[in-house]
Amino acid sequence: MPFETVNSKVVRARVSPQAPVLARRGAMLGYSGRVGFRPVRGQGGGMAGFLGAAVSGETNPMMATEGQGEVLYGYRGLHVTVLELDGSAPLVCEADRLLAHDAGLQTSVQFLGSGGVRAAVGGAMTGQGLFTTNVHGRGAVALLSHGGAFPLQVAGTSIGVDPQAYVGHVGQLQVDVAARMGLRDAVGRGSGEAFQLRISGSGTVYVQASEQKF
Amino acid sequence: MAQLTADRRVLRADLHGDRIRAASGSMVAFEGDIDFKSAGMGAGGGMRAALKRAVAGESLSLMDCTGHGRAYLAKDAMDVLVVDLAGDTLTAESQHVLAHTDGLRLDVQFAGLRGMTSGQGLATTTVTGQGQVALVSEGPIMALEVAPGQDLVVDPDAYVGCRGQLQMGLVSGVSWKSLVGEGTGEPFSLRFSGHGLVLVQSAER
Repeated sequence: MPFETVNSKVVRARVSPQAPVLARRGAMLGYSGRVGFRPVRGQGGGMAGFLGAAVSGETNPMMATEGQGEVLYGYRGLHVTVLELDGSAPLVCEADRLLAHDAGLQTSVQFLGSGGVRAAVGGAMTGQGLFTTNVHGRGAVALLSHGGAFPLQVAGTSIGVDPQAYVGHVGQLQVDVAARMGLRDAVGRGSGEAFQLRISGSGTVYVQASEQKF
Repeated sequence: MAQLTADRRVLRADLHGDRIRAASGSMVAFEGDIDFKSAGMGAGGGMRAALKRAVAGESLSLMDCTGHGRAYLAKDAMDVLVVDLAGDTLTAESQHVLAHTDGLRLDVQFAGLRGMTSGQGLATTTVTGQGQVALVSEGPIMALEVAPGQDLVVDPDAYVGCRGQLQMGLVSGVSWKSLVGEGTGEPFSLRFSGHGLVLVQSAER
C-alpha cells in the first residue's frame, strides 16, 4: 500500500526505485528522502496516448516521482479518496480527478462517442465531456473530490447519479444518460435534476457530496 | 414513513412510497425508483407562501422526491444535520434547509432589523410540525443552549437557526472607530434570551 491518508485531504506516498508514483503536477506538498520529480507528457501509452490526450482535452499534466522517500500530496484542499485496484476491472473517471497513482498502473483515454451518438450527446450535455480516463492494472489510486467520495454498491440493479456529483466507477457497469426533460425544465421551473446518469450492472460507483466541479 | 439520516456531508433519505421535499438540484445519487419534480413557486406552500417569499426576498426552491428507494442529497459539500421536530417550531435561514419530511410545514416569518444587518433579507423560514428537517452548514453545527439569565450573543453571519422560546435582539458595536475603518469586524451581533437552542455554524457567510 503506497498511499497512506494523513488526513482527509492529504496522502503520504512511499516512493522507492522499484515503485515510482505518478502524480498531478504541482500537487506535491512536501517530501523527505532523496526524491526527484520529472514531468510526464500525455497519459502514457506512447504517441497514440499522447495524441489521444491532446485531441480529447482529457489531459492532466502529471509528474513522475522517483527515488527513495516519502511524499505528501494534496490539491486545493479537495478531499482525497484512496482506492485499491485489484486488476479485475479498470477504474473509470475523469483525468482531472486523479491526484496520484502507482506508476505501474496504465491510464488510457476512452472516447465515449464509441457508445453511439446518444452517449456522445449525453456526455456533451452533462458537461462530462466526450472522453473519460480508464486506469488499468493493479495498484492504488488517489482520487480528488469536493467533499469526499462515498461508494455506492450496484449489484444487478441500476442507480441514478447527478452528472456533476459523479466521481468514477469500478466494475462491470453501464453508464447511460437519462434525460428527464419536461416542460417545466424548459421554462426554468424544473427540479434541477433534468439529467441523470443511469448506472447499471455490478460494481462500485463513487459519488461526491457536492455538485461542484473543479 | 420517510427516514432522513445524516452521514457527515451526505443526507440519506429512505422513501417508502411517500414524499419528502428537498432543495432543488441537491440530489447527488439515488437507488430505486424515485421521481424528482419541482414543488413550484411557493416551495409547496401554495400561492400565499409564494407571495410572501417574493415580498420578503426569501428565496427557497424545493423539489418533491417521491417513490421507493434511497436518495442521497448534498449541497456543496456542506455538513448535514438532521433535526427531529415533534410539533414544535424550528427557525432557520432558508439557504440552510436541505430537506424535510412531509409532515412539516414551511412558512416565512419577517425578521425585521436582524435581516438587514446580516444581508440575509428581511425574512426567515419557520419549520413546524411532526417530522424531520435536514440543515446544511459550513462546518459542523454547534447547538448552544440559552437559559433564562444566560443570554447568548452570536454573529449574524454564523447564525443558522434556533429552536425554543427565544427572543432575538440586536447588539450594535458600532462606534466612531468603525466609521473610520478601524472596526473590530463585529459591528452587529444577535442576542438571544429565553429558553432554547441556537444553532451556529463554524464559519461566517
